[in-house]
Amino acid sequence: MKKKQITNRTIVLTAVIGSLLVMAAVIANSIWSTKQTASATDEAVSAVSSFYLEAMADRNAMSVTNQINIAFDEMEKAVAYIEEEDVDSQEELRETIGKIKSLLSLNRLALVDIDNIVYTQYTTYTGRSRYGFLAEEQLSGPTVDTVSLYGSSKQLCLAIPTPGLRIMGKTIKACFVQIDIKDIVDMLAVDDKGRTYFCIYSKNGGNLSGTELGPVISKQNFFDATEGKLPEDVWEKARDNFEKEKNGSVTFSHDGNDITLFYVPIEGTGWELAVLIQESVILDQIHGISERNIRNSRNQIIFTLVAVLLLATVLLLEFRALTRHKLEEEKENSRALHKMANTDSLTGVRNKHAYTENGAALNQQIQNKEIQKLAVIVCDINRLKEVNDTQGHAAGDKLIKDACALICEQFSHGAVFRIGGDEFAVILKDRGFDSMTEDINEFNRIVEANNQEGSVVVSIGWSILEPDDHNLSDIFERADQMMYERKKELKAMTPAR
Amino acid sequence: MQKFFRKKCILMIVLAAVLALAACSSDAPANESSENKTASDTAESASSAVDFDHELDSYKPKKDNYNFYFTYKTVHPWWDAVALGMEEAQRQYLDKGITITYEYMAPEGASAEDQIKRLHAAEKEDFDVIGVDVADEKVISPVIDEMISSGTKVMTFSSSDAAEGCRRIAYVGNTHNYQDGADLTEALCKKLDYRGKVAILVGSEGAPCHEDRARGAADTIAKYSDMQIVATEYDRDSVDRAYDLTLKILKDNPDLDGIICCNMSNPVGAARAITEKKSDAVIVGMDHDEEALHYLDEGVIYCLGVQDCYSIGFDTIQVAVKIADGKKPGKLFPEKTNEITTIIYQEDAALMLELLYGAV
Repeated sequence: MKKKQITNRTIVLTAVIGSLLVMAAVIANSIWSTKQTASATDEAVSAVSSFYLEAMADRNAMSVTNQINIAFDEMEKAVAYIEEEDVDSQEELRETIGKIKSLLSLNRLALVDIDNIVYTQYTTYTGRSRYGFLAEEQLSGPTVDTVSLYGSSKQLCLAIPTPGLRIMGKTIKACFVQIDIKDIVDMLAVDDKGRTYFCIYSKNGGNLSGTELGPVISKQNFFDATEGKLPEDVWEKARDNFEKEKNGSVTFSHDGNDITLFYVPIEGTGWELAVLIQESVILDQIHGISERNIRNSRNQIIFTLVAVLLLATVLLLEFRALTRHKLEEEKENSRALHKMANTDSLTGVRNKHAYTENGAALNQQIQNKEIQKLAVIVCDINRLKEVNDTQGHAAGDKLIKDACALICEQFSHGAVFRIGGDEFAVILKDRGFDSMTEDINEFNRIVEANNQEGSVVVSIGWSILEPDDHNLSDIFERADQMMYERKKELKAMTPAR
Repeated sequence: MQKFFRKKCILMIVLAAVLALAACSSDAPANESSENKTASDTAESASSAVDFDHELDSYKPKKDNYNFYFTYKTVHPWWDAVALGMEEAQRQYLDKGITITYEYMAPEGASAEDQIKRLHAAEKEDFDVIGVDVADEKVISPVIDEMISSGTKVMTFSSSDAAEGCRRIAYVGNTHNYQDGADLTEALCKKLDYRGKVAILVGSEGAPCHEDRARGAADTIAKYSDMQIVATEYDRDSVDRAYDLTLKILKDNPDLDGIICCNMSNPVGAARAITEKKSDAVIVGMDHDEEALHYLDEGVIYCLGVQDCYSIGFDTIQVAVKIADGKKPGKLFPEKTNEITTIIYQEDAALMLELLYGAV
């Protein structure tokens, strides 16, 4: 099977597609995580809001109960104080009540005698029709009553029996304080920027605190406002819970928002304290936090992707540089190998392999008639075998080098090839071809002089491209023939040694 | 915070009151039927019936301490509402550094004799002013004159003034009881298309306010030849007695078409009896008893004349302070301080319940 070649383009493509896939995977994972988080958040909000409301309602109801208990304690102290004081007149009684009010910070402290005459710091009045608890001839114990004042203001009336207490010759049957429900509201109110609402209701759902329980119920009667908005059984259950002083919760939707409210009885009052929160408020809060987290995550992802892309780009560029360097190195090696394959190691001129390669190229030109000026000089070193045999191969090699140097020097415009042990070929073209005759004559003159002196002798034969020649070897043949003739001539001119 | 709530509440009511003042005073046409009223009329008439927005006038009291005595006809929520107006005035004086103490007393049942005893007892005490809601003008007016002669400062207040010619210093309260009776009866006559048998329930015999209303009612009926008064009874300011009397009237007159109620207990007792006997008789009555307002809301009572008790109480204390300082009626305060009565109908009932009782 043929292996597909890996190219730079392949690597770049792989890197780009890989990066895109990684990015897509990271983004898809982020989106999925976000959706999962949002879904989990919604579920958590529902649970948290119920828990939060229940805790808040319990806490507020407990606050009211504590306030009521504190008021009862204070009334006990007040009665004990009055008993100790020797009150003989209405003026003294008013003064005493004023002192106690001031000491205990009580809003409206009063005593009631058995004729239901009420004694306060500033007024004395008949009060049977004003206070429900006075309908009883005697109070059996601490009593909590709601007083609806003219003008829809309501107060919590807390009364205790005062057995044995006599003032100005009259039997006092009760001591009571009135706490304005608005003071209770102030005590419970927290500045939560309208995110949660609370309201105090009577058993029939009447709004006692005058506060708003969210935009839907507002300040209306609880049951009037929720009738039709709640399933009938839930609505009936809430009515029953209010009546029986039980706690409970209801949830309904308004304008696409889920609204949850929790109500708890305030011990001893017959009231229900309701706390409401729109889940959208919690959701908005959590979504705000989530969005910030998501934004941070998105920024991190973008930062990571950019960093990855930058890193990938740098790596890619480095990889490309490395690849190019390796390619260059390989080319260089290839060139070196090629050179090595075409160079004669002894003389440094091109070898027979190079001559064959060159010849092939020239043959093509000859056949195509693309070249006119072409000559081949065949050179042969005389007496090489004798020198090798008599003076050794080192002397023989030196003779070859000297001969080569002579050839290269004289045919400096030609291409010199060592094509055999003692044989060289020079290919002359253009400028070398033009100066060929002078160069050959000069070469032969030097050789003939050397022959007389016993120095380097090289026999040469030459031939030029003829019209009938088909390839380089045709020229070479003629030159080679001529070289043998010249070799004989030179031998003949050699003096006897 | 408490002041803020009060001011907010007061501001809303004042706004509504100002808008409706002209249309909803006792001078408003009595024949204004509920059918002709718009929703805004409803809100206006109900909210303007009682004015909670009061501030003391610019008068500077001479003393730092005042001590008053007030006695009224009978223990009843109507006078509790008056008491709340008094308490507001007392609180405002206290804010100015003036301490006002007072007694505000009444017997369990209306009684001129009891009132005389209370007045005489109070006369012996060191009160700056004694105020009285006259239980019986014939009996009480001479007593007041005696007290004035002996140097006691006496004023009348709330629902009933003394008899004409009495020397009481001033009166703060309803000055148009006759007209209230006439207006309610006119509304009833129109509802009955000016024909039918009606009964008149009155409160205490001799109580000026009750008697005046009864007279206004009788005179109005007399204007229409097809209208007939079949009974006039006194419940002595007792709901139970009003109930019993109504049952008796219904038994004697099964075809009764209407009942005119001249005090606060009348309409409650009448409505209970009418409901029980499933009678179609139309009830018109006085005042703002919570149960009566519920009957109005349910349509058992046709209309109610609501007096502004809160203002009566507030103004009573202001006038008492001036009288204590030796001031006489004139520019500083009138000899009779008129307080409004507003006739409200079924559509006004819920708002009135909310305003007065918080609909708890």
